[in-house]
Amino acid sequence: MKAVKGKFFFGGVHIRDKKSLSCDVPTEVLPEPSVVCISTHQSLGKPAVPCVEVGQSVVEGQLIAKANGAVSSNVFASVAGVVREIKQMPSASGAEETFVVIQSDGSQFKEYLPPLVQPSPEQILERIFQAGIVGMGGAGFPAAVKDAPKTPVDTLVINGAECEPYLTCDHRLMIEHADEIVRGARYIAAALGGAAIAIGIERNKPDCIAAFEPYDDVKVVSLAKRYPMGSEKHLIYSVVGRYVRPGKLPADAGVIVHNVGTAYAVCQAVELGKPLYEREITVSGGAVASPKNLWVKIGTSVKDVIDYCGGETGRVTKAVLGGPMTGTAIADYDKYITKTSGGILLMTSKEAECSAPTACLNCGKCADVCPMHLMPMQTAFYSNAGDFESAAKLGGTMHCIECGACEYVCPAKRPLIQAIRKTKAAVRTAKAKEEK
Amino acid sequence: MDNSIVISTPPHVKSARTTKGIMLDVIIALLPAAIAGIVFFGWRAAVIIAAAVLTAVIAEFVYYFIYNGGFKAKCANAGGVCISWLKQFDFTSVVTGLILALILPSTAEWYEVVIGALFAIIIVKMLFGGTGKNLVNPAAAGRVMMFLSFSITTYVATNFEPISLDSNLFTGATHLSGYLLGGTASAKMEWIDLFMGVGLAGCIGETCKLALVIGYLYLVIRKVIKWWQPLLYVVLSAFLSVCLAATAEGASFDISLFVDYALSGGLMFGAIFMATDYVTSPKGVYGQLVYYILLAVLTSLLRFYTKLEVVSFVIMIMNLIVPLIDTYIVRRPFGYKREKKVKEGK
Repeated sequence: MKAVKGKFFFGGVHIRDKKSLSCDVPTEVLPEPSVVCISTHQSLGKPAVPCVEVGQSVVEGQLIAKANGAVSSNVFASVAGVVREIKQMPSASGAEETFVVIQSDGSQFKEYLPPLVQPSPEQILERIFQAGIVGMGGAGFPAAVKDAPKTPVDTLVINGAECEPYLTCDHRLMIEHADEIVRGARYIAAALGGAAIAIGIERNKPDCIAAFEPYDDVKVVSLAKRYPMGSEKHLIYSVVGRYVRPGKLPADAGVIVHNVGTAYAVCQAVELGKPLYEREITVSGGAVASPKNLWVKIGTSVKDVIDYCGGETGRVTKAVLGGPMTGTAIADYDKYITKTSGGILLMTSKEAECSAPTACLNCGKCADVCPMHLMPMQTAFYSNAGDFESAAKLGGTMHCIECGACEYVCPAKRPLIQAIRKTKAAVRTAKAKEEK
Repeated sequence: MDNSIVISTPPHVKSARTTKGIMLDVIIALLPAAIAGIVFFGWRAAVIIAAAVLTAVIAEFVYYFIYNGGFKAKCANAGGVCISWLKQFDFTSVVTGLILALILPSTAEWYEVVIGALFAIIIVKMLFGGTGKNLVNPAAAGRVMMFLSFSITTYVATNFEPISLDSNLFTGATHLSGYLLGGTASAKMEWIDLFMGVGLAGCIGETCKLALVIGYLYLVIRKVIKWWQPLLYVVLSAFLSVCLAATAEGASFDISLFVDYALSGGLMFGAIFMATDYVTSPKGVYGQLVYYILLAVLTSLLRFYTKLEVVSFVIMIMNLIVPLIDTYIVRRPFGYKREKKVKEGK
């Protein structure tokens, strides 16, 4: 369908996106690394339980950790080889997680689930769960849970906004695999009981918008280029025109949102039976020799990826796993790709400015750009004084989606997101104490 | 990899805008008004501007030097302290000094200006915690203090001989004061002269409206202030003044006075450069709306009843209730819906 314009909402910020570094580079496949380290905790909820033993030989696509409970996801071997170790070590975010280390034998022997032909909604749902598919946008919510909502859903929104600067993996995926994404979206819509399909794409990707216009059952919405357009609540408002009320789920508004990467993974899982053990990432930033879009196996180390892209050029001030607005800064390259990492960025001191914060001017720019219409400066002010209750009340902190727009725009470079996270944690602990 | 890699919470990219940059923008926006003032009022204006700016900067430096962390230790390391001061210097004191100078008449004595600037920086700004912590606009407070202390010289602007066209007009008070006091000044003033500031008595930076409009446009284009803020203040205030003037005995509703009210006195300068001061204006957009409407109402009421030029006073008064506005006027979160009250009984 011909693209229509998305609805306007107040807030958000225009960020220099720097996507031109990598958006025209066709996707390459990263050669198989000799060792992969696969975390068993790749989604929200409980970590999966390892079901292989040290010394056991595995094949590509074999289940190595089983989902533990409803909100959890299966984890698969991404190379064929031998399980060398199962160990505890800190993940990129710093939490201790269980990793399965697999030494590749180079055979690349694959074993997939049986492909589904003319699947029923129940079969699709089961396959989404079996294949360990999670939200590929970054949150990592298990897709099977999302696709079994308690309230009736009439619209499936595919998130092609990719509002984060630098990242272009969704952009390339949309150009190169538009057909698979649409087929995947149709499967998800069928699982939801025949929901209508809409896709929201930011206006700075006209080639992607054009790629989806030929499909008659897909409503294409061209969105304003404004961060955070890809935020679930704002995407739903822009595309469908419905509000997700505070504290409610998108399903309560009759909408389910999936990333383009998730739709692609669903298509592969249904048609080929391929579980989720591979994803597309962007390697970019001023300090990378040649920015690239790559298909990488889950568990590949950051070092292998960077070496493939020609290594560093110049001094790296910050290395980021994920996007520059919400990603995690990593201390060394001994970290591993998960189902939710969208990119690896090596940033120079010019790109990732790290100047000391100065006094807050009360300019209110953070409140102007806040897509949730909150008051970040109040949170920062009161949490600095240790009064987390006032911080949460006056700043509206518990509604915050931590998009980082406030801190981006702050002329005094105040660490607002840090204050917000601290306040949220403090309020949650206080609440937990009260309930005891 | 180097060991100096930085770890922090996201976001990892930040806008290029800094406090220093914003203050430089404000200074640039003030320059046309300052130049116009020097052209119209001669060397006296230049002396006042220089005195106010220098005093403000030096006062801030001296305060920085004495306060916090042992005077003796700082004396021993004077060079290091100077460098650290320069590093944190963000031009806010320059802005304060410049604004203070531009809202003074050219007849003010240099020592009065020095006292005013010292008051503005030391008492109003630094004692409350420096940049970002002051309760009221330092320049407005300095001007009000001078108005109350040296009222004759600072309020009455008489030094207008060089371009004086019609001696009747410039008997002392600003155009607006003359008009409010029952004079017939407006009948003789052409709107274009009022706009250009030619042959108009008033404070150094307030007379040439063209310079102010240039400054306003610059600030809006650089997105330092929101375009509707000064506009709301000036238009609403002038309109209310016209309405109030119509309530006087024997007067009728005369919309042609609108331009006189809008362009007279310190209203435009105050609206563009003083009311929009970040530190002392509300943070949320609804709070700002309330703030500018209240400013306009108060200005027109006080102008009408006191027959004085009151913009600095009004801005100071409104600054004091800004914390209240910020606490009680809060935007609802995105998607929030007020729950309908269920009627009880029946």
